[in-house]
Amino acid sequence: MDGQRSVLIVDHSEETREVLQTALERRGLRTFSASRAGAGLELARRHRPDLIVLDLELDDAGSEDLPGGFAEQSCRDHIPLVMLGTVRRDAKSPPEGEFVAKPYHYGPLIRKIEELLHTPPVALRRSA
Amino acid sequence: MPSLFVIRGNDQGTRFELSESLLRLGRDASSTIQLHDTEVSRQHAELRRSGKHFTISDLGSSNGTFVNGERIRRQPLSSGDQVQIGQTMMLYTGPSGDFDADLADVISIAAATAKEESQIIRSITQEEGSRIFGSDAAFAENPWLARARSNLQVMYRTALAVSHTLDIDQLLYRIMELIFEWVEADRGCIMLVDPEDNSLRPKVRRTRRKTRPDEKITISKTILDYVTERREGVLTSDARQDERWSPAGSILKMGVREAICVPMQARYDMVGVIYIDTHTTPQEIIRQGTAEKFTEDHLKLMVAIAHQAALAVEDTRYYSAMVQAERLAAIGQTVATLSHHIKNILQGIRGGSYLIELGLTEHDESVIDKGWNIVEKNQKKISALVMDMLTFSKEREPDLATADLNHVIGDVVELMHAHADELDVDLQWQPDGTLPELVFDPEGIHRAVLNVLTNAIDAAGENEESGRVTIRSEYLSDAALVRITIEDNGSGIPPAQVEQLFSPFVSTKKGRGTGLGLPVSQKILTEHGGRILVDGHSAPGSRFTLELPAVLPKTGRDTT
Repeated sequence: MDGQRSVLIVDHSEETREVLQTALERRGLRTFSASRAGAGLELARRHRPDLIVLDLELDDAGSEDLPGGFAEQSCRDHIPLVMLGTVRRDAKSPPEGEFVAKPYHYGPLIRKIEELLHTPPVALRRSA
Repeated sequence: MPSLFVIRGNDQGTRFELSESLLRLGRDASSTIQLHDTEVSRQHAELRRSGKHFTISDLGSSNGTFVNGERIRRQPLSSGDQVQIGQTMMLYTGPSGDFDADLADVISIAAATAKEESQIIRSITQEEGSRIFGSDAAFAENPWLARARSNLQVMYRTALAVSHTLDIDQLLYRIMELIFEWVEADRGCIMLVDPEDNSLRPKVRRTRRKTRPDEKITISKTILDYVTERREGVLTSDARQDERWSPAGSILKMGVREAICVPMQARYDMVGVIYIDTHTTPQEIIRQGTAEKFTEDHLKLMVAIAHQAALAVEDTRYYSAMVQAERLAAIGQTVATLSHHIKNILQGIRGGSYLIELGLTEHDESVIDKGWNIVEKNQKKISALVMDMLTFSKEREPDLATADLNHVIGDVVELMHAHADELDVDLQWQPDGTLPELVFDPEGIHRAVLNVLTNAIDAAGENEESGRVTIRSEYLSDAALVRITIEDNGSGIPPAQVEQLFSPFVSTKKGRGTGLGLPVSQKILTEHGGRILVDGHSAPGSRFTLELPAVLPKTGRDTT
């Protein structure tokens, strides 16, 4: 890695992707983005980002198992996962990570992303 | 699908669909069917599918499980069974195909053939039906036959009264009127059980002329208690000769000679009582030679009338409870869809203003620009939403004007080009050059086409390879019709969803749709005397045809 930290944004909303990309890139972060879960997972495997922002209301996956693939990836590579929205309370195995309920404010979301990026993985697992 | 419908208790009006093969009923949040009833055990009973139906088993609950009033440990359910656990009463309904599954094989409707032809010899209208009891000389000679006929007539008229109204008060009034026409009662009233506190509340009161209309009807509590506790009708005549009514009883003091009091027993509950009485003074008895006005026949018939009326009262109540529950569900769905949509718009505005703020702090105009665009876009979304809501909610007449339909559609296409580009969709517009100027509501049709076209572009945008939407106009001068056809190559619409397409506030776009677009388009077309035709899978995508009558402007100067 070239030292530049990267964030993957998977969100159906072009606006959300644009806002997050603009804000994060100005903080010196590299961003990848996808509007669908499939393409998002592909990017996650290829680029091994340092953090994934995942919208929980994507079209191309049943909301039940949508975070599954990302949770696996996040667990294996110790990548923090920030999920936008909520999972159903009765979901069988809620994925580990940070949940940000909608509608959210961008300021606190970006601060949370930065915080997680500066937390070493070990400490992160404990706090999650 | 089999279901349990709560007809009494805290969850009243809730319908639980029995979609799984094993369901647990209880107070616990982990129950498949959670009942908010403190008399229900945490894990009270379970329903297990066996064949088409369900069997209910009690899971050792403290207060027991009852089916049709009997405590059970294990019991197969059939449609119409009444399941009570704690204070909660539920009605079980089996699978819908339950009764008529095989009937199609044994009953068929066939056109008459030459060989086997039944002829209609006599037909009778609904109104004529009652005339079968009309006066006929033959009956006059046989008193028994005459009485039987009169009784049958009363029942027939009760059945009619019951079938004619959904208004309980009106129904009870009719029943009372009927009773008074048939029996020589002086006073009568119908009392209904108030579901709130189980007390009897008078609903209808009637007196005959000779009693003072302002006279208060006092009903013996002894009689009422007997009737409500035993659920039996009673005929009381001379109180002193009847041992069941002790001299200490209230009848004696009130001096009631004859009374009939019957329970209104419905399918599940006693919903009330009907009471009639007649007061004969000693002078009248001397004059007439007898005090007997009420007979056992009267009592029997009163029981039957009360049962009929009770069924109707119960039906009406369940019907209203169901309508209410459905209305609440519809409101819930509306609010959910709308708030989801508005939430997304709010999220967009927050994003836009965040970028504007960022740009202002960093003095970077390009970021401000980006933010401003997002705010603008969302502002348009709100305005579209409000317009759709207005169109949908108000009864309106189309604002007719003479205009060029191709122009109107062209405007929409131009407006949507940016959206199509965004989703990589190729948008093709094929206007029919022969289309003359027509009279229609240009703004309305603009809105209707816009909504359908937006959906088509969204659907085509899902096509991974290359999205394509074609919109064309077509003038059918012979039929005086215009067709606007919009085709996409998206994934089509599953048959199950086609039915719901035009139901308001049902959206499959996961919060990006208001669920108003198609209902609004349909409303506009209907107002024009037109319609929308849907082909959910005109391979590969779907095709929507907006059809409206082609109204040519009147010739002359006046073209507005």
